[in-house]
Amino acid sequence: MGGALAHVSWENCLIDPHRDRALESYARRKMGAPFPTVRYFTPVPWLARAFVDLHPEFGLLMHLDLHQSDILALVVSQENSCRFCYAAVRMLLWAQGMSETRIQRIEQALSSGELAPKMAAAIAFGRSQSRVGPQGAGEARRMLREAGFSDDEMKEVAFVVGGTDFYNRVSTIPAIPAHTLERMPDQILMRLLRPLIKRIVEKHRVRGRPEPPERPPSYPYGGLIKAYAGSPIAAALGRTIEEMWASSILTRRGKLLMLAVIARGLGCEVCAIEIGEALQRDGLDESALGQVLTHLDAPELNDTERALVRFARETIWYEPASLQRRARALRDCLSGPQLIEAIGVASLANGLCRMGAMVMGHS
Amino acid sequence: MTSIIVAGAALVLMMILAGAFYRQWRRNQALQAQLQAAAADLEHLQLACSRLAPAGVVQQLVADGTRAVTVAAAERKIATALFVDLVGFTEMSERLEPAVLVRVLNGYYQRMSDAIDEHRGQVGSYVGDGIVAYFGALQPNPWQCDDAVRAALAMREAIRVYNVELDRESLPRLSIGVGIHRGLGLAGLVGSRERKEFSFLGSPVNLAARVQALTRLHQADILVTEALRAELDKNILLTPMPAERVKGFAEPVVTYAVKGTIESRRG
Repeated sequence: MGGALAHVSWENCLIDPHRDRALESYARRKMGAPFPTVRYFTPVPWLARAFVDLHPEFGLLMHLDLHQSDILALVVSQENSCRFCYAAVRMLLWAQGMSETRIQRIEQALSSGELAPKMAAAIAFGRSQSRVGPQGAGEARRMLREAGFSDDEMKEVAFVVGGTDFYNRVSTIPAIPAHTLERMPDQILMRLLRPLIKRIVEKHRVRGRPEPPERPPSYPYGGLIKAYAGSPIAAALGRTIEEMWASSILTRRGKLLMLAVIARGLGCEVCAIEIGEALQRDGLDESALGQVLTHLDAPELNDTERALVRFARETIWYEPASLQRRARALRDCLSGPQLIEAIGVASLANGLCRMGAMVMGHS
Repeated sequence: MTSIIVAGAALVLMMILAGAFYRQWRRNQALQAQLQAAAADLEHLQLACSRLAPAGVVQQLVADGTRAVTVAAAERKIATALFVDLVGFTEMSERLEPAVLVRVLNGYYQRMSDAIDEHRGQVGSYVGDGIVAYFGALQPNPWQCDDAVRAALAMREAIRVYNVELDRESLPRLSIGVGIHRGLGLAGLVGSRERKEFSFLGSPVNLAARVQALTRLHQADILVTEALRAELDKNILLTPMPAERVKGFAEPVVTYAVKGTIESRRG
């Protein structure tokens, strides 16, 4: 049941899973079932929590239809050739009671374009973010509006797409094994447990409720959090970003440099301004920043920063196996937790930047 | 007796109907399987297309469906064109057996294509013994100039290593000429109704080809234009060459020979 991505080359996993009771029980509480994938990210707690917290279907969406959200995640995962996420979304659809035939019909409809106008516009937006990034946001926004999406729905579409971009990268870069998920619906035990799985999924797939805005954030992408004020997305994203900055595994400047390179590579000016200002506050002068953004290097960078900057650029557009091989080379200059945090920061930056171009430009 | 005949007839009719239904069901299953296979092929094709043509063009093709076959699918963008050509190929082709020549050529194509891929370029086409490659034509790439020059340096190194192999087999050594230029062109799918291919068209490609031809005149293996130099990493070492007139361009063209990088000199 590998679906359309069964042919995608996938390297051996780059990182080892580590058990962490606290984080695993956090994931179990939130998702209602054991979530062993979280073990790959436990050396970087903020990333392990983000891997659980940013799932839109678990209480983050107030306006967008949950089925539309599932289909969007399926499409974006396919565009990004993420075997793990694609299998995960197919598994989720299967667990909700969809037969393999029905899932295949959905896949056929997606490739043949036989879709309702609203769904078609949402999918066009998802595809544009994977193929052209923020540069396609303006046109996609116009299409979404014409298809009848409200402002709040459009922000949620942007969150689902940006969030899936994050999940796709965080799973693809370390080559999290996909075959277990791909085979799950074929296993007799899983078929027997399906009604139970369905109940658990249905119990935890809930609509979000309005949340009062917290104190206005001052860190980069604060503008994005403000744009989601009142939505549970603001709290989830805000917590993730705040915890990422608070983590000391990589330096704050190293993380900012990665964000800056990804914003530059995607051509997102609105994101680049916030990040550039933060980098200058962190002691990188304008000319050094300019040199980093133009040539991915500057004398002011240390070896780790240089490696991070070059790696960040690889995550913008990629072929999975090639990106996985390049990430493997990064193990020579980073510690295990540093490598995982670098993967997390690059993945989050790609998601935030795509979200930001749509939402910050929009708000 | 009549009721038995009627019941028998009804039973036969039901069996015929059941058989017909079963046959139809089997046919539907087979059609469904064919449809799934076709859909899977279409998915693969779309994914493959997005790696062969600019993302915007693929989107346009997907959105327009069959209309795109007849409607032009292209977009204007700034990209970098790289032309690489074998020096002395004609002479070599006359001396070598066809099978050996093809083997040597394939080794050259493979090494050049690897260098282009490794530096995020796309091979546009093979023209005789030449290759045209583009950087930043498919997806936005603000680092396209550095990528193109580093790809050319990787080609130089790949040819050096390949020549060691050729020496061992007593085959003639290869040398290349590379021309690189950056500018505004048209990226899209062009060709006849039956056969289209991705191409980056316009003066950047023409000038890159002319600059490649200047490598023989200037006795330099890699030449870049002034437009490219302006965007290039200062760690890449260049030597200015005298301006030359080239066919199709009114003004003399200033070029720079690429010597290497500061890092490689230190290394």
